[in-house]
Amino acid sequence: MLDLASVVSQVRRGMIPAHVYADPEIFAAERDRLFARSWVFLAHESEIPDPGDYVVRRVLADSFIVARDEAGVVRVMFNMCLHRGMQVCRAELGNASHFRCPYHAWTYRNDGRLAGLPFHEEAYGGEDGFARAGQSLLPAPSMGTHNGLIFISLDPDAPALADYLGDFAFYLDFYTRQSPAGVELRGPQRWRIKANWKIGAENFAGDSYHTPHTHASVVDIGLFREPKASKRKEGALYQAGPGAGTTYKLPPAGNEHSAFTDQLRYVGYPDAMIPVMAAAWSGRQRALVADSRFMPSAATLFPNLSFVHNWPQIDADGTVAPFISLRLWQPVSERETEVLSWFAVDAAAPEDFKRRSYTAYLMCFGSSGMFEQDDVENWVSITDMAAGSMARRLTLNSRMGLTSEGKPVKPPLATFAGPGVAYQGFGEYGQRHWFGLWGDCLSREAR
Amino acid sequence: MTAGLLLPYGDPAHLAAHQFLVEEAALLDAADFAGWLGLLCEDIRYVMPVRVTTARGAGFDSLADMGHFDEDMYALRKRVQRLATDHAWTEDPPSRTRHFVTNVRTFRGEGDDLRAESALLLFRSRGDTREPSLISAGRTDLLRATADGLRLARREITVDESVLRTQNLAVFL
Repeated sequence: MLDLASVVSQVRRGMIPAHVYADPEIFAAERDRLFARSWVFLAHESEIPDPGDYVVRRVLADSFIVARDEAGVVRVMFNMCLHRGMQVCRAELGNASHFRCPYHAWTYRNDGRLAGLPFHEEAYGGEDGFARAGQSLLPAPSMGTHNGLIFISLDPDAPALADYLGDFAFYLDFYTRQSPAGVELRGPQRWRIKANWKIGAENFAGDSYHTPHTHASVVDIGLFREPKASKRKEGALYQAGPGAGTTYKLPPAGNEHSAFTDQLRYVGYPDAMIPVMAAAWSGRQRALVADSRFMPSAATLFPNLSFVHNWPQIDADGTVAPFISLRLWQPVSERETEVLSWFAVDAAAPEDFKRRSYTAYLMCFGSSGMFEQDDVENWVSITDMAAGSMARRLTLNSRMGLTSEGKPVKPPLATFAGPGVAYQGFGEYGQRHWFGLWGDCLSREAR
Repeated sequence: MTAGLLLPYGDPAHLAAHQFLVEEAALLDAADFAGWLGLLCEDIRYVMPVRVTTARGAGFDSLADMGHFDEDMYALRKRVQRLATDHAWTEDPPSRTRHFVTNVRTFRGEGDDLRAESALLLFRSRGDTREPSLISAGRTDLLRATADGLRLARREITVDESVLRTQNLAVFL
């Protein structure tokens, strides 16, 4: 019998009972206490730019249509017919003014309202037998958007999305608001891995320690110069609101007046984009790059949306091109995850930059990415090992950066420009932050 | 690519194309990736669009602007170099793979170039506890006649799943 309180209390001390990565009872608790309440990412507005555009996405087993209606309003609707429960839309994307259920032809407008059903008068006696007026596919209980990112919560009483994002919104802008045009998402690539969903989320939240070894091959071949341990340990790890992430330390700029420009050039942004980014970001955001000299890299927004920003070399001439990816760790079961990995790029960026950035993404992340390949091998193996009985006798030490008394080995950075708390050097601060939020969720009542 | 003249299965050009594809599969299954690179033209384009589930009337079933692969020779060389390092964990220990190539049809292209369409089933087994994975795909190849024989100039891989059931694409199709 699962002792959830004991698991949560161990996790809060940075000691992770190994079975949490393959335990069906834990998975059921996550479904009922975490995913039933949390804000979860579904799609980005750029995926459905025109009226009638839609994508179909899931939160665990629940399928939702994310559509832009005829008035241009984004709607999220539970994809189940009100009549007999058929999945109304079985395509994953497209454009439609209406969705017609294949079973009995009940038809819904793309804002979810029931438009018609056959033989309403003869079969139901019209409005008297079945009041058509006001009928609608079930809307997502809560919905919110930020920088075009569309989130829902299955909890109708969820806090406002902006309140939930809190200090992490500062860091979201580095990935999703490099200009007033915002970001555009392409994809996603989708594939299933036999790994628990938490491992990827934790990894992106703060595991700079794995980079030098897991990703040694990409340094060996000269694809990306940064992951060497000597460089990686200079990065800052931050925890802010419901998120946490890693950064790389940038080399000193030649001239303090051009520091922001120099740093963005170093990671491969073209001169045409840099003033636009400077204008789109706040003084504090610019200072993180120009003064603190930290460039955001991997991050996770709790529970299961991660981000990455790297700048590999994409051709034999040594061209460096940055890319951004968003990825959703969509739980399938305690031992299986569907990965949805999008390429993201500033919508206003020059076309030749978009092409270079896309090349950089494909080489590094996603289903074929040379970074991601080795990550997934590790995560599948962890999940395999966690499924046995011996894993129930092992607690994994996730206390890196803490003394035995629970104090930080090194104090937080005093001059870090971003909100939240940040530490320089290796440490599992971000993973513990993530697991602290996980513990909070699992301590709530199920709904 | 536009359809050309389908060659009879006994045509020497068809036999040469078929032999090329089978020999290529043998190199991949023997993990002779450097040898495999030798079969590619320097201006190779190697693409694998993301397939999607759409309504029959939608007019498309793959994403125009997102692939699993969209590679030039530099990118493919990097992938091969990586597999040759001591740190490519996902393929060390290596997968056992078998590329089954069938349904080969060859069309006459421009000059001596050939267009070959084939069906591919990749069986991939890792370790001793994991379920094996399968990738089923169609391929459309442009085979260029060179002084050294046929070489692959372009490959478009049409994968038959919208959600891949393999842990990654640390393999060539």
